[in-house]
Amino acid sequence: MTLHDVVLQQIINGLSLGAMYSLLALGFTMVYGIIELINFAHFNIFMVGSFIAMFALQVLGLHGQSRLLTGWPLVGALSLGFASTMLASGFLGVAIERIALRPMRNVRGTAAMITTIGVSYILFNIILLTMGAGAQNYPNPMPQVSWHLGGAVLRLREVLLWSVSLVLMGVLHTFVQRTKMGKAMRATAQDQEAARMMGIEVDQIVMLTFFIGSALAGAAGLIFGLYYNNTSFLIGYTAGLRAFTAAVLGGIGNIVGAMMGGLIIGLIEALGGQFLQVRWTDVIIFSILIGVLALRPTGLLGLSTPKKS
Amino acid sequence: MRLGKTLIPRKARWVALSMSLILTVVGLTAVPGTRAAQKVIAIGITLPLTGADAEDAELIKDGAVLAIEEANAKGGVAGYKIDTIILDSGTATAGQYDPAQAATNTKKLVANIGVVANIGPQMSGEGKAMSAILSEADMATITPSSTNPDITNPEFKDKYRPNGKPVYFRTVTTDAFQGPNMANYYAETLKVHSVYVLDDSGAYGVGIANSFQKRAEEKGVKVLGRDQLNPKEADYTTILTKIKGLNPDALYYGGVEQAGTKLAKQAYDVIPKMIKGGGDGVYSSSLLKGAGFPAVEGWYSTIASPHLNESAELQGWVNRFAKRFGKQPGDYSITAYDAALVVLDAIKRAAAAGKVDRHTVRNAIQNSRLKTLQGTVSFDENGDIKDRTVSVFQILHNPKFPDDDIIHQYKYIGVAPQN
Repeated sequence: MTLHDVVLQQIINGLSLGAMYSLLALGFTMVYGIIELINFAHFNIFMVGSFIAMFALQVLGLHGQSRLLTGWPLVGALSLGFASTMLASGFLGVAIERIALRPMRNVRGTAAMITTIGVSYILFNIILLTMGAGAQNYPNPMPQVSWHLGGAVLRLREVLLWSVSLVLMGVLHTFVQRTKMGKAMRATAQDQEAARMMGIEVDQIVMLTFFIGSALAGAAGLIFGLYYNNTSFLIGYTAGLRAFTAAVLGGIGNIVGAMMGGLIIGLIEALGGQFLQVRWTDVIIFSILIGVLALRPTGLLGLSTPKKS
Repeated sequence: MRLGKTLIPRKARWVALSMSLILTVVGLTAVPGTRAAQKVIAIGITLPLTGADAEDAELIKDGAVLAIEEANAKGGVAGYKIDTIILDSGTATAGQYDPAQAATNTKKLVANIGVVANIGPQMSGEGKAMSAILSEADMATITPSSTNPDITNPEFKDKYRPNGKPVYFRTVTTDAFQGPNMANYYAETLKVHSVYVLDDSGAYGVGIANSFQKRAEEKGVKVLGRDQLNPKEADYTTILTKIKGLNPDALYYGGVEQAGTKLAKQAYDVIPKMIKGGGDGVYSSSLLKGAGFPAVEGWYSTIASPHLNESAELQGWVNRFAKRFGKQPGDYSITAYDAALVVLDAIKRAAAAGKVDRHTVRNAIQNSRLKTLQGTVSFDENGDIKDRTVSVFQILHNPKFPDDDIIHQYKYIGVAPQN
């Protein structure tokens, strides 16, 4: 492998990481956009999502590396996996909002944020205590198909990861920009009171936001499992923190910003690891974050969202 | 005016006095070993029984428990019934062993006057947190698996045994041999000319990787790079891609299973053909389970003790272990059993000399010369075992046995070259 090939490979790695961070960052940014809450439970909704997806695939008869599928059975199994995981994670998010967060909606200060940290720890410990601490061998029904670009390798699962992320983000963007519900969401984000006066059911919009954000986190969880072939109760922490950073980098509350932020963080991680050392990854990422915020306190695209009073 | 008179009425003082008397009596009887008729003493067992290390820690605990149960079944040791106090040093926040918890557990054991010695820890990171506390109390621990040499190295005496006398004994050898001997094996047997070295940022991982790297360089193996993995990180494809670009003959990983599992899994995708190996941190059933076949196939590992559990004279013991716990022992179950035998023997000799407490037991352990499962155990002036055998294994799939069966999926290759 020449340096050229290695860099190309790192870009492929970085885009894959970035796509995952983007999906996760969307959940942070959407919830923040609507109710100005940083939802730390999101870290572990992602983690729980990867477990839900594992059960879903196991119900379909896929355990470990036991069986490879191709063609329609593969598409069918994965679609079923994504559908059930996104539904279940979405409802988990809605339940958290309804039970733990709605009573605090109008409480000033950090109570709601602390509550999300608490919920995050509850999810974390439930999985730790029921599933054990060891890493789980993840079902992987995808055949080992790959393409060679010079010395770099592009695998089927990377293509799958990118395309699923792109499709989901495209659907979300269209939904928010083009549909009536999306318009209601944007209105709620701009001014809750005014939106309520215009006849928008704010409670339902908040629930919808949690549903979509959590469903995307669930999808990211399934992608994570398929990509690394592995999951454990710990995966939420690092990925969640990076995704949160991505959301802030892109401008928290801004959907396009979150997607961009995720990709940038993924690329920094991969190329930083290549040219410096992986032990410096966090130092590099957070230095860049602080640098960007010092110059543009609202994040890269933050200014395009209207400022709330 | 005296404060006592105004603040505490006379009646209340009597109540308080009698309550404290009752409490003292209750407290005294609760401490094992103080009532002459009962003659109970306790051995602590401190291991990370929850978290990523749990399965291997269980195997170690079972080895020690078996020895103590067998001794009690024969009527105890020198008239004493031996109690075990088992403490967990794994925490949810660490997800694996937690040095802070290990220190807390040690303080708890030291505070209990009935405890005469400890068995554990599993990990060197725990050992570093425990050793000074044990030294203050002059209480010995015998570790059946922690191999970082610093803890017993006289150079770091002030840090790990401020009271001077060794308190940290081992029934395994240290990474001062485990890392270098594996480097010898890489250079001489596997004919490796270039290597990339990784560690998992833990005390054990950094230490064994350093000692491997040093010997590898001395042997003329080119070290193409050295980096550190964050065990909580999910993605190692970046570093693996970098390694692939450098194209060394082999990879050496110093660390335990939390990062090891993910490394093995992802290395199978990125560098499937490269020689890969590590220390006793990758000799683990949770590695087999979490990374699974075919990803783990071909990985080399070492352990810091002779490999015995398939040998004929040990079959009787293996059967007893399997019958008692319903599973196969690992090699560190044997070193744990041996550690318990050494402690029990020390209690016996201390009793024969007239007094059993943690000080006499520590002195007796220092002078041990005991025939155990792994051969004769004796310690040097720092607490390290005199036998310095390092055994090499390779993971080779044996479909006749469960995929996470540590005994049958690791194939014994031989003893690593010592020079």
